[in-house]
Amino acid sequence: MVFFKLASAQDGNKKTISVNFQQAKIEQFVSELESKTGYHFYYNQAQFDSLKVTVQVTDKPLETVLDMAFHSTDFHYAITQQQVFLTKGRVVQTELASGFFNTQPATETTKQAAVITDYAEEKQQKVPVATTENKLYEIGIKTNIIKSGTANLAGYVRNIKSGEGIIGASIYDPESKIGLATDQFGYYSLTLPRGRHTLIIKGLGMKDTRRRIILYSDGKLNIELQEQVTSLKEVQISAEKVANVRSVEMGVNKLDIKSIKQIPTAFGEADVLRVVLTLPGVQSVGEATTGFNVRGGSADQNLILLNDATIYNPSHFFGFFSAFNPDIVKNIELYKSSIPEKFGGRLSSVLEVTDREGNKKKFTGSAGIGLLTSRINVEGPLIKDKTSFIFGARTTYSDWLLSLLPDAYKHSSASFYDVNLDISHQINEKNNIYITTYFSQDKFKLNSDTAYGYSNRNGNIKWKHNFNNKLYSVLTAGIDDYRYDVSSSANPITAYKLNFDVKQTDFKADFNYYLNSKNTVDFGLSSIYYNLNPGDNEPNGAKSLVLPDVVPAEQALESALYLGDKYDITPDFTISAGVRYSLYAYLGAQTVDTYAPNLPKESTNILDSTGYKKNQVINTYHGPEIRVSARYALNENLSIKAAYNTLRQYIHLLSNTTAISPTDTYKLSDPNIKPQFGQQVSLGIYKNAKANTIETSVEVYYKKINDYLDYKSGATLLLNQHIEQDVVPTQGKAYGIEFLIRKNTGKLNGWASYTYSRTFLRQNDPNVGDLINNGSFYPANYDKPHDFNFTGNYRFSHRFSVSLDMTYSTGRPITLPIAKYQYAGAERVYYSDRNAYRIPDYFRTDFSMNIEGNHKVHQLTHNSWTIGVYNLTGRANAYSTFFTEQGGAINGYKLSIFARPIPFVNYNIRF
Amino acid sequence: MKKTAYIAFLIVSALVVTAGCKKPYLPPVVAVSSNFLVVEGLINTGSNLQDSTIIKLSRTVKLASSNSSNPELKATVKVESDANVSYPLAETGDGYYMAPGLNLSAANKYRLQIITADSRTYQSDFVQVKNSPPIDSVKYLVKSDGVQININTHDPANKTTYYRWSYDETWIIHSNYNSHEELITTPFDTIVFRPAADQIYRCWQSHIANVIVLASTANLKQDVISQNELTSVASTSEKISDRYTILVKQYALTGDAFKYWQQLKKNTEQLGSIFDAQPSEIPGNIHCITNPSEPVLGFMSAGTFSQSRIFIDNLDLPLWKATPAITGCTVDVFPYKDADGIDEVRTFLYFGHEIPLDAIQPPGSPISGYTAALPKCVDCTLRGTKTQPSFWINR
Repeated sequence: MVFFKLASAQDGNKKTISVNFQQAKIEQFVSELESKTGYHFYYNQAQFDSLKVTVQVTDKPLETVLDMAFHSTDFHYAITQQQVFLTKGRVVQTELASGFFNTQPATETTKQAAVITDYAEEKQQKVPVATTENKLYEIGIKTNIIKSGTANLAGYVRNIKSGEGIIGASIYDPESKIGLATDQFGYYSLTLPRGRHTLIIKGLGMKDTRRRIILYSDGKLNIELQEQVTSLKEVQISAEKVANVRSVEMGVNKLDIKSIKQIPTAFGEADVLRVVLTLPGVQSVGEATTGFNVRGGSADQNLILLNDATIYNPSHFFGFFSAFNPDIVKNIELYKSSIPEKFGGRLSSVLEVTDREGNKKKFTGSAGIGLLTSRINVEGPLIKDKTSFIFGARTTYSDWLLSLLPDAYKHSSASFYDVNLDISHQINEKNNIYITTYFSQDKFKLNSDTAYGYSNRNGNIKWKHNFNNKLYSVLTAGIDDYRYDVSSSANPITAYKLNFDVKQTDFKADFNYYLNSKNTVDFGLSSIYYNLNPGDNEPNGAKSLVLPDVVPAEQALESALYLGDKYDITPDFTISAGVRYSLYAYLGAQTVDTYAPNLPKESTNILDSTGYKKNQVINTYHGPEIRVSARYALNENLSIKAAYNTLRQYIHLLSNTTAISPTDTYKLSDPNIKPQFGQQVSLGIYKNAKANTIETSVEVYYKKINDYLDYKSGATLLLNQHIEQDVVPTQGKAYGIEFLIRKNTGKLNGWASYTYSRTFLRQNDPNVGDLINNGSFYPANYDKPHDFNFTGNYRFSHRFSVSLDMTYSTGRPITLPIAKYQYAGAERVYYSDRNAYRIPDYFRTDFSMNIEGNHKVHQLTHNSWTIGVYNLTGRANAYSTFFTEQGGAINGYKLSIFARPIPFVNYNIRF
Repeated sequence: MKKTAYIAFLIVSALVVTAGCKKPYLPPVVAVSSNFLVVEGLINTGSNLQDSTIIKLSRTVKLASSNSSNPELKATVKVESDANVSYPLAETGDGYYMAPGLNLSAANKYRLQIITADSRTYQSDFVQVKNSPPIDSVKYLVKSDGVQININTHDPANKTTYYRWSYDETWIIHSNYNSHEELITTPFDTIVFRPAADQIYRCWQSHIANVIVLASTANLKQDVISQNELTSVASTSEKISDRYTILVKQYALTGDAFKYWQQLKKNTEQLGSIFDAQPSEIPGNIHCITNPSEPVLGFMSAGTFSQSRIFIDNLDLPLWKATPAITGCTVDVFPYKDADGIDEVRTFLYFGHEIPLDAIQPPGSPISGYTAALPKCVDCTLRGTKTQPSFWINR
């Protein structure tokens, strides 16, 4: 084990001494040195019990004596004026601290004033926390002349209050233009030229800060950031906004929970997914749905991750609430274009929702009361500074709303709840364990005896291990389960219970290697085992005569290997290139039908069916996925970026409704259903203005999708034993341009985005099935060309702010019957081309006021009110149109969900 | 998952009651008067009189229209062969155009040409002649809840592959009550004994099926249709309460025609509601030559059809009890002179409010009044015809 240390430079004592210790105990050692030097020694006797000193020197300075005595040990010393501090495991810094944020004593043996500046790469050694801006931190083994070349600096960026790692904080050296963002644990590893640097550190929702360092050699520096308090005064603006212009990623939007909470929602509760919809390039088909469409992708092409657990149904209560508890969520990140190599399995986007880590320093909590839901969260340390938990729960009591409805709905009920429990444990500086769990349950009944229920169940465990400054690994194992059931018991003869269940067991190993100042390498592997029960309908009760109908369970294994490198060719030009090779195997037991080649997959064309044994590989699909992006900085404030991505998707959501319904079914790729394949090329220009307080960007993209499933007319999707007969593979193309302007600081903050985008699908292979619209391209259900969003927040004072949200979009396409006629003995309707018409345009404005209680620090609870109005203008936006026959004539109707202003109020307390 | 989707729709509707709303909506497209030509029929290549080629031309109407039939009149319609021979059809009225047994060679291909009164030309593609093989049998199968009618056929040449059937059903109905008395108005209003010719107790009702029945033998080694269900009649149906007959017509289709009919069948079941599956139209094989972008509805086939008729008699079926087709019937009594001295026969029966059933005549006395019931309970001609159809064969 190598031990580095550096001594304080300001100690000018050159007095020499001679000593001779043979297996001397600490008391003997210290008293002799004290008598010879006249210095006073401070140490903790218990720590030095084991020390036996054997040193023989003549006329050497005290430093040499101590160096020799402590060589190859865990002990350190520091000398200042006439005092010597002896420590174990850490070194006392003898400079006066210029900041006072560091309220925790650095070591028990030091005085308040002492701050540490020794950095060592040793296992049990604590990495010092740098909390002070004006102090100069010396990193590595101090040398008189700073060597040329580079050295590595690594550590965590953490929240000073809770000790929680800050994700995506940027660390940037303006001089060398080297910078990066912290990873999901708040970890960073930066390779810089040796020497003096001023690092600019910015975290979402955190106060910007900087650190002055002298980098001698490889070392560690943990940085603690302060939360950005509600600010009346202008927030301190520092020199660089790194993310927008400097990062190599394209089409990435990151939002912290603070911005999310500013946005008014229908029932006053902050809604993660609702906010995602205000981002450029993200659309939805209507108000009562949380399925969203990213850059012309369908709703099932989004990988929604909650702490790396796949959430299959991200909504409650038919989409009026999102599945994510706003009190637990820390931030969200949406990848629309540059999708990191480590993600795969979905075509359009990755939405990463990250929960906060529990407060490692003290117990806190909050509670919220709204008209329909209440929620509570509690967090705190289990072992101070090492282990913490966070617990959140929500429930609804919306039945009263349903009881207000007319008699026809009197017997309806709807409820949901969800629970999060996350634990994080720091074994030591190099090993961390994270356990996250999520459970949600929805139940509803609509005036009929048919009861519906669905549930997300997720749990995973992550082990993060730092091999050294430059290399760390994260191993993740988890189970994600989504299930629903539909049951009826009113008529004992026809009582039934239908179950659906998709379960995935996954394992991932992700490695991150900061190779050198120019290269950051990611590599790893992942494997997902799917177990899908597409539906079984069983009799419910002994008297039931329902015949069991079971669609055989499906199994598959999706594995991938990936390797990516972010390469800074010059400070202005960076390329990130990676490849992910995915291998998918559809496994038995299963019976698979073979269809006649070049004929539509219809029951009339089945040639043969083959049975396969359990775990027998039925067929495989595999191929590389390419992820490349590049960034070129034209100047400090302006950069251009380009990206090319390909992705593969092996699991398909089958829904022939426009909105995601809770009982849509999933299908795994099999010999008859090919995986979806997507490619996207995008180009963007990023500019920061007004001392980087304003970020602007323009991105264009073009996307091609192969084998996206669309549905044949009259398709039956649930309990269909031959689902391939009711779907058709289509080709898709999507293109668009997205404008975003965002102001993150100041009294007025928020963003505005405008997107022009088109999405088309085509089915032009007569061998596959009926041509749709003569085989020409037709707009997808979610093709909404114009989309404008404005989200703004104005802070009048510390305690009072208002938010305004505006949305405009083109109405979504629909297929309308346009005529009727008599044919073959009956009245028939003639439909327009698929999606040839649109519902009326959508426009909505929401307004809310946030009123905070007083800001005295020392009070038991802090409280706040949110009062607002959803759909301020009361515009009756069409959710859909439909046609129904009445009195022999067919009439059209337009259905609106919130056709008038909806006021709401929410009360929150923090404790 | 139509049902759940519908439930989802209900929830949305439920919330709409408190927050949202449903408003009439007339999309611009529906307001546009659609006027597409609809062509229905078969170029019948047979030579018999029953093998007439009958083409029906009509126009689509607006969705909001209460009238769905809009015949296309005064058009010039002819069948053309690929050997440049043409066969004109004569207009028979109400949008029908007809030519008796054309006796066309199956070696040629044929198309239909239509020139409408406003000089627009429409043409079908040339279609090959597909003659239907004879029907082997139409059989009925007694099941616990009714009768299932199946068809069996085969093509020894293995060439037909795609089949379509249509059928007409005819059955005897009975009034709830048998009337033995009738009102005559000349020379003056009086009630007399009803002669057999005027009976209104037993009638024939018929129905032309509006469902499309299709089958394919593409996945079979042999071109055999066995026990293919055409329709079924519930055990409680009035149709089989006495005697029932079904006439099945069998058509042979080309692959394209089969697809067209299949799609038409699917689209009929739904009507543009929000959560429904996406409907889509398959274009037929008839085109507007004058304006190629104008849609034309319908699919033209050429060939012959074959037909078969069976009878099902109630006596051959289990003892099922039919649910009365007409409900709310009672037998009322109308005396010439009631307790208040009013002539109820004159007041109610002479004005046709009810139809007399039997005379009330105590032995040795004159008729004191009549039993009677509402016309719907007595007069079967309100629902059918009392003329025995020409094809009818009694047991």
